[in-house]
Amino acid sequence: MKPLTDQLLIAYLTARMPDWRNITVSDLHRLPMGASRETFRFDLGYDDGTGSHADKVILRRDPPASNVDSDRQHEYNAYKAVYGHGIPVPRMLLLEEDPAHFDGAISLAEDLRGYHNSEYQIQQPEWQDRLPRLAEGMWTAMGQLAALPVETLDLAFMKPSAPETTAMQELNYWEATLDKADIGAEPITRAAIRWMRRNPPPPAQKLAMVHGDFRAGNFLYDDSGALVAVLDWEMAHLGDPLEDLAWSLARVLSFGKDDRRSGVAPREEALRIWQAASGLAINPEALHWWELMMCIKGQAIWNAGVAAWQKSDEPQVIHAYAAWWLRNAQDRAILELMGKL
Amino acid sequence: MKPSIPAAVANLAALLRDDIAPNLTGFRAGNAAMSAAMLDMVAEEWDRAASRLVAENATLRALLVRGSVTGDLGDDSDLRVSALEAGNENLRALLTGLHAAVEERSDAEAKSLDDAIWNALRASVENRRIASANF
Repeated sequence: MKPLTDQLLIAYLTARMPDWRNITVSDLHRLPMGASRETFRFDLGYDDGTGSHADKVILRRDPPASNVDSDRQHEYNAYKAVYGHGIPVPRMLLLEEDPAHFDGAISLAEDLRGYHNSEYQIQQPEWQDRLPRLAEGMWTAMGQLAALPVETLDLAFMKPSAPETTAMQELNYWEATLDKADIGAEPITRAAIRWMRRNPPPPAQKLAMVHGDFRAGNFLYDDSGALVAVLDWEMAHLGDPLEDLAWSLARVLSFGKDDRRSGVAPREEALRIWQAASGLAINPEALHWWELMMCIKGQAIWNAGVAAWQKSDEPQVIHAYAAWWLRNAQDRAILELMGKL
Repeated sequence: MKPSIPAAVANLAALLRDDIAPNLTGFRAGNAAMSAAMLDMVAEEWDRAASRLVAENATLRALLVRGSVTGDLGDDSDLRVSALEAGNENLRALLTGLHAAVEERSDAEAKSLDDAIWNALRASVENRRIASANF
């Protein structure tokens, strides 16, 4: 990949933004965020007809090999679609889809600094008394997203779906991802898929905008534990509102290594907050199916990370690490959900 | 090798995690921390890998024979971990096919074999657990 430099960004912005003058880029550095995209932060300065500007910016770049089949345009459009609808997200600034400029498409977004996003920090003893507030913010935002009428959002860029078809659509997609990233036999995951096809869930109670990766680590919070912004919308799609809830309950993403889901709150508390915020029902059988579905999705992503690592000229540590750390735990989570543990 | 490989690798992991990573920032610090965690997993897996694979392969072969699966089931005569893993992958692929076929049957032997397969899969997962896993 072409190294990202101050000079490269200034040259690009000078050509892209003819009204901007005296463009400066400083403190450009890569952040340890995300397994699927490169994330950088920098300070941007420029003058235009309205005066002088000093902005803090996040740059995300598509890599040549990823564990997630998404692109800059999709995430950019997802952020833009949800912005201003009550779910706090950073403002999008610019999308460049031509990979010629940076060896991959990029997007620029407002950088909300001074906050935290670490899923590990909140496991420290000094954060324990703030977990209830984190839980309230996390599952409330998720419930509010589930409640949003999709007709009011500009989601034309997403694949169509319907309450009657979304479950099998997701299962087909992630099974195909498993097939594509075939790194070895998956007897437990395949058995779960067969069970899910024999026992489909009822139609979704409504079609929702699903974030697709709503968990601790993918939102910003302040020192008091209040949620500031929801990040990482690259897997956003139309689907069953129970899907985000199910992902947030995943055992492998329970970073406290105990019964607190997402390392934040017990399962029943998460359900209570989500239900109050969404006003939606939680059918236990449907939620169980979606929790299994999220195990399939997880295993497909971890395996795709291995495939990306194996074929990349610049293998990413996080792809190998995630697979070693998560694949067996994912199998164990499936066993628990299927009553086989 | 002396010092023992698990002990030496665990020491390298601690060095990377506690001494080197804290002196790095951003992306490099993240990579160093993940590398240390991977070294911890190597230390954990090194000593048990061959034993675990031999035992698991024997269990899988017995299930496949019981399910009348024909084909090359291997024999673990080569005890290198890479050879045992290759054999294990083959056996797990055959087991996946057997499991799917067993689920289509409703006789008592099929139910018993289905239970035995799940027991083997559960044992495999428990024997592969790593200390740092969330679950």
